[in-house]
Amino acid sequence: MSDLEAPKRPSVFERKDIKQTVYFWVVFTAIIGYAAAELQARSMGVSASETMSTTIHMMRVFTWVAAPIAGLVAAMAMTTLISKIHFGDTPPEEADHQIRNATKLSATWLIVSSVLCLFAVVWGTVVLQKDNAALLNPQAMNVNVTGQQWAWNFDYIDNGTVRSQDLYLPVNKPVVFHITSKDVIHGFWIVQMGIKVDANPGYTTETSATPNKIGIYDLRCAELCGLYHAFMQTKVHVVSQADYDAWIKSQGGQA
Amino acid sequence: MTTMMDRPAATPGHSAPKKALIERLNIFTAFALGIIGAIVFYYVAKAILPANTDGSYIKSNNDQYVIFSMIGWFIGFMTGIGALIGPFRWLLGKDLNHDENMFYAGKDQGVKRYFRYTTDHKVVGIQYLVLTMIIFFVGGVLAMLIRTNLGHAGGGWLQPQTYNAIVGTHGIIMIVGTIIMITGPFGNFIMPIMIGARDMAFPRLNALSLWLIIAAVPCILSSFFLGGISTGWVAYNPLASQAPAGMDGYIMFICIFALSTMVAGANITTTVIKMRAKGMTWNRTPIFIYGVVASVALALPAFPVFFLSQVMSGMDRAAGSTFYNTMGGGSGWLYENLFWIMGHPEVYVILIPGVAALMEMAPVFTRRPLFSFNLAIMGIAGISGLSILVWAHHMYTTGWAPLLNGPFMLTTELISIPTGLLFLVLIGTLWRGRLWMTMPTASIYALLWNFMIGGITGIYLSDVPVDGALHGSMYVTAHFHYTLMGAGLTGALASLVYWFPKMTGRMFDKTLSWIGFWFVQIGFNIAFISMFFVGLAGQPRRVEAYAAMFSRGNMITTGGAYLIMAGMLVLLYGVISSWTGGVKAPMNPWFAKTLEWSVPNPVPLENFDVLPVVTSDAYGYGKAQS
Ligand SMILES: [Cu+2]
Repeated sequence: MSDLEAPKRPSVFERKDIKQTVYFWVVFTAIIGYAAAELQARSMGVSASETMSTTIHMMRVFTWVAAPIAGLVAAMAMTTLISKIHFGDTPPEEADHQIRNATKLSATWLIVSSVLCLFAVVWGTVVLQKDNAALLNPQAMNVNVTGQQWAWNFDYIDNGTVRSQDLYLPVNKPVVFHITSKDVIHGFWIVQMGIKVDANPGYTTETSATPNKIGIYDLRCAELCGLYHAFMQTKVHVVSQADYDAWIKSQGGQA
Repeated sequence: MTTMMDRPAATPGHSAPKKALIERLNIFTAFALGIIGAIVFYYVAKAILPANTDGSYIKSNNDQYVIFSMIGWFIGFMTGIGALIGPFRWLLGKDLNHDENMFYAGKDQGVKRYFRYTTDHKVVGIQYLVLTMIIFFVGGVLAMLIRTNLGHAGGGWLQPQTYNAIVGTHGIIMIVGTIIMITGPFGNFIMPIMIGARDMAFPRLNALSLWLIIAAVPCILSSFFLGGISTGWVAYNPLASQAPAGMDGYIMFICIFALSTMVAGANITTTVIKMRAKGMTWNRTPIFIYGVVASVALALPAFPVFFLSQVMSGMDRAAGSTFYNTMGGGSGWLYENLFWIMGHPEVYVILIPGVAALMEMAPVFTRRPLFSFNLAIMGIAGISGLSILVWAHHMYTTGWAPLLNGPFMLTTELISIPTGLLFLVLIGTLWRGRLWMTMPTASIYALLWNFMIGGITGIYLSDVPVDGALHGSMYVTAHFHYTLMGAGLTGALASLVYWFPKMTGRMFDKTLSWIGFWFVQIGFNIAFISMFFVGLAGQPRRVEAYAAMFSRGNMITTGGAYLIMAGMLVLLYGVISSWTGGVKAPMNPWFAKTLEWSVPNPVPLENFDVLPVVTSDAYGYGKAQS
């Protein structure tokens, strides 16, 4: 052995900064993933439809998929922060290298981010198709929605001429909303059902949901529509089929 | 033949030579002529326009008078500042002579040159800096009014009409402020020196772009006295056609601002392409230059559309057209499309320069080369290219063309790939560097944090089904504040501290920069993280009152907003005190390698005695390994 030979470089995983980073990575991924997924899902509140449950589930999964990326950036940042930091008015010594590239790392980064992106697109498209198909469901009941400054009106066209300002829906029955506006653009949004589409003057837009839980929910306007936009909200009453029929009759319609 | 603009020879009999016209014009003559122009146009409009006839789509004559007055203001102001002298000379077949050009460049005029139509890019840069600070001050005061009003549930002390006007004005004025916050001050002052040029390619266009914005700002501020912009910053039709005359102020503001952006975009792009120093090949051009060019070049396709959308909106209001009126065969969806064809590139117009500026600083403060310069360029180019193909993700829930939601979801989510490259470049540069901790260094970390949150929440929103739950809620508001403010503004504040020594000749007070940094960043995260949660729970955007369940989240946001305000005021104080009495800066306080640090303080009129020749890129930090 010649003593001119350079000392053997430690393998990548023996290096102290790499070890630290891996440790932080695991910890941060867990913290970020759990905190972001749980806190976000919890604050989305009760779900009153499958659409909303799917949305909450998607948020959870997206968060867990993104957490390792965020965790890695955070871990690398943390490792640089606990190494020697120089304060002062003149610069520290130059770094001990002039590395400008790391091809393998960059390629891995590019491939991983592309795969994750593809995953999000594909899953999103699948769910989207399901939501679109629901609009064509022949079993669904129909409700016409009319927005105007600053109130909502609901016409139960399958039940004769019944009109209300609170929305009544039977549980577990698919419903398609046909939405329009009398004046400006409003946003028809049933918060706990996770559905939203604008009410446009002169056009009819559609969205659908299947309420799956009896209760009282919030319907809010999601598009700034003038002076009392903040107060353009009403309640959605999801009731049993029998209660719904009784309510329709009390309003003069046919169940 | 002499023209009125020619400098007359000193005539005997006068004690002093008469001042030539171009020496008399300044901001005061501009305001005076602008006001006169507005009054004249108002009365002309009143005299010649037919009174409103029933049955037409014109709401009232007011809109016509307001638009005419503002056009009068605009023409008067631009004449009064001297913007027309050059073109007028051309009409007469002459051009400015050398003395006049030197006068235009601001030679030997001291402070006065800052109040004139001065062409020196450094003067324009300083003017932009002050203008940006004024805009942020106004927008910030409005933000504090909004947050104060939302401090507790059930509506605050502002009338709904006032509240809506404040929200709209805060939105649009901050968008404009953030669009110019980096390419204005630093793109004008620093960029030409950084590429080794003596000035911009078109110095007079440079002055023009600045004074156009100054002409535009009174239009938006006047809207407060005309009923306000009660439509949010997007000014969707038909709500906008219903709005009071304040809307006309918005329309004129956008039209003039769009002109300015187009002029600046053409000018900066040409400068970078044609005027780089000898030897500065594209792979030796600093990354900040790429950021600035990507930003202004994106504005080139985007802002003409914005201009057009507002011209059509103005015609609907004042001339009886029905582009956006369903009753007359138009469509509000047309407006939404035009608006977002501008509006989505525009967010990257804001974001890219902020990230690029921090990429420029990262090697300086880690004393090692920028990691993967090529990926940085690919990231910037990829974002710019994709950003013109994603506009309709703002329209998933409008009901317009549901079949297109899938394709737009694809293009939108693809943006996460080039965006990821920007993260890789920044974190790769920090990795194994020698960290020199300054306020700009800390800003790199802040950007990584904020932009990560802004980016990932953007991925949720880009997913059509999730957007069905979150669109139009406070979640969206928090998301874009994370990108535009958490990432963009963080980059701009770091740029301010970093380039302050070159622009003012003095160091930015270190303590104040740190205090400001922490107040802004902590306040920002408190304010907007809690805003995510009220959004998730179902609080809509742009509401002046909300259900009691959102009280706690809103109170926390308001508290955070006050911290941001404190931080921004500290930074403002830092600018004023450092500028007037700060420590004199050495030529190259950061020991950086880009060209702007190779010229003395204050930077001489044409920057370089001898134009530099570039032989390597600016990132050769670190000890070469043998
Ligand atoms: Cu509404």
